[in-house]
Amino acid sequence: MENGGYVGDSSPANKKAIAELRGVSKSFGDVLAASDLNLSISAGEFLSFLGPSGCGKTTALRMLAGFETPTEGEVLLDGEVVNTLDAHHRPVNMVFQQYALFPHMTVAQNIGYGLRQRRPRLPKAQIAEKVTKALEIVRLSDFEDRKIWEMSGGQQQRVALARAIINEPKLLLLDEPMAALDRKLRKEMQIELQDLQRQLGITFVLVTHDQEEALSMSDRICIMREGRIVQIGSPQELYDRPNSRYVAGFVGTSNFFSGNVTDQNGGLATILLDNGMSVQGTPGVELAEGQDVCISVRPEQMKLHRQSDGVKVEVHNRIFLGEHTEYLVNHETLGDFLVLSPRQSELNEGGFEVGDQARVSWDASAALILNPN
Amino acid sequence: MTHRTRNWLLLAPAGTWFLVMLIIPLSVVFIFSFGERAPSGGVVPAFTFEQYANLPARWTAFKNTMTLAPIGTLLALLIAYPLAYFLAVKANPKWKTILLVLVIVPFWTSILIRSYAWIFLLGGRGIPALLEWVGLEGIRLINTPFAVLVGIIYGYLPLMVFPIYVSLDKLDKRLLEASSDLGAKPWRTFLQITLPLSIPGIATGCMLVFILLMGEYLIPALLGGGKVFFVGNALVDLFLQSRNWAYGSAVAVALVAVMLITVTFYMRLISRLGASREDVSIM
Ligand SMILES: Nc1ncnc2c1ncn2[C@@H]1O[C@H](COP(=O)(O)OP(=O)(O)O)[C@@H](O)[C@H]1O
Ligand SMILES: [Mg+2]
Repeated sequence: MENGGYVGDSSPANKKAIAELRGVSKSFGDVLAASDLNLSISAGEFLSFLGPSGCGKTTALRMLAGFETPTEGEVLLDGEVVNTLDAHHRPVNMVFQQYALFPHMTVAQNIGYGLRQRRPRLPKAQIAEKVTKALEIVRLSDFEDRKIWEMSGGQQQRVALARAIINEPKLLLLDEPMAALDRKLRKEMQIELQDLQRQLGITFVLVTHDQEEALSMSDRICIMREGRIVQIGSPQELYDRPNSRYVAGFVGTSNFFSGNVTDQNGGLATILLDNGMSVQGTPGVELAEGQDVCISVRPEQMKLHRQSDGVKVEVHNRIFLGEHTEYLVNHETLGDFLVLSPRQSELNEGGFEVGDQARVSWDASAALILNPN
Repeated sequence: MTHRTRNWLLLAPAGTWFLVMLIIPLSVVFIFSFGERAPSGGVVPAFTFEQYANLPARWTAFKNTMTLAPIGTLLALLIAYPLAYFLAVKANPKWKTILLVLVIVPFWTSILIRSYAWIFLLGGRGIPALLEWVGLEGIRLINTPFAVLVGIIYGYLPLMVFPIYVSLDKLDKRLLEASSDLGAKPWRTFLQITLPLSIPGIATGCMLVFILLMGEYLIPALLGGGKVFFVGNALVDLFLQSRNWAYGSAVAVALVAVMLITVTFYMRLISRLGASREDVSIM
């Protein structure tokens, strides 16, 4: 496969798959919202779908929840094909994008809703007890009798969370749960959500378009693009070994230079860049001679210095970030790129000012050769 | 212009209308109701409770109104709700507008003409003739309470459908998904989410139909044929035929009083229902 074997089941083999997508596609009329999704979700993991708006994340989630039936392929829960099983029969709960709390019920009534649907009926006292506990877990103990519209956005989100986890679902689906919160609250909720997941051991599937959120919370991230899964891996794997320019650009920031392959030997390949320079890099994907590729170098793996090796640049901008300094530098033919210098090396070798001439170099191992799109 | 004067200006047209078309005539009727019948018809001013003492003579009209209006409202509700539900929740969005227009198409011709159509349908050569043909003889439909109810439901259905449609249409469909997601079967989702959240529409529709029905006179006159008459018919009779304005005024005042009492009672019921909606949903 062109994506170098990262797509597909890379979940730990010793863990049981709690949910699976096998060749799942979904089209709405002419729109192919999801295309050939293959994914195995293991029990207890925190998995994220990450991709820009409209790439099919919600559609994937809704097929797991039972709100959409796949046009092709199979959705499995606990080893059973559930393609046509109604949502109310699935041991799965969802935290909706705008929470979808019931406006005519109090906080406690919202949270207890799932338990009240159980047949045979649960005793009232038991429901009340579980609701109290769920309220404690999301730290809303004093709010049980409040109306939904009396709660702030952050509180509403926690009600939605409690309403879902009280049912102890096999899978908790979260559709951009933090999108409506302000930045500070979002950070807090991210930490809370992670704690909650560890504490409860429930498998979480999160949908987000915020790479920072996905990177900081997930065990594995499933990168999506135009209805397809492009790469699945842990945040570190995706950062260190992206399989395409798209992934490298989506997970963290990177500098890209395009060119084509002239030679391969051992673990390295020689690339003739578009400006005529020849550089060495490490293949991140299968390469063929003459192939158009793109080299990705992370800003922190570039070294800005005054020695004689490397490419000659001029410093155009400098942002002091504390432990790092970020430089925007310009090369005559390569254009602008970013370099991140650690404070320590600045202290040792002296920093640079805007307008300074300098040189930038990097190791061949840091230059990842990827597909150009 | 201050805030206050602007507010007054906003209220002025409706306020004037209200004063001229409602308060003044009502006051006149109220004053008349204590008067006496003039020999030539009309009123002689007086202060007597004689007209009110006479009210029981028109008891049948009140009884008919007070039974057929609520029953008609209820039946209209039972028929309108599924229709509104279908239009708002199930119908293909492409067809929605056309279907909604179809609901109001009957309003394009006058109720008078439509009621004549019913006179024919329910009369001897209409449905009863058909029934006779399949062996059911001697069934009379026209000039019965049934005929009046048919007319009422037919005429008032759109008034019931629209408010319910609006409340169901603006219902966030994700709430239904959330309910299903939390394990509720479809009919329980209906009982716990859809129905309680459409109460405002139901309340408005019932109120509208009920109040208008209390004053109805055309349908009983045409389809009840003088056998099933409403207070409205009694009023027409008293004001236009017997020209007993004083007595007619007393009947009118009594009707307004009955209406006020029922509506107040109804409002309290609705607000109680609203306040205890959570209990409804805990079923
Ligand atoms: N019910 C639907 N009807 C038609 N098109 C839809 C429907 N749901 C989603 N789509 C389309 O499918 C694509 C993926 O949508 P979605 O899964 O919501 O993306 P995301 O959650 O990643 O933003 C979009 O182009 C969207 O317009
Ligand atoms: Mg979405």
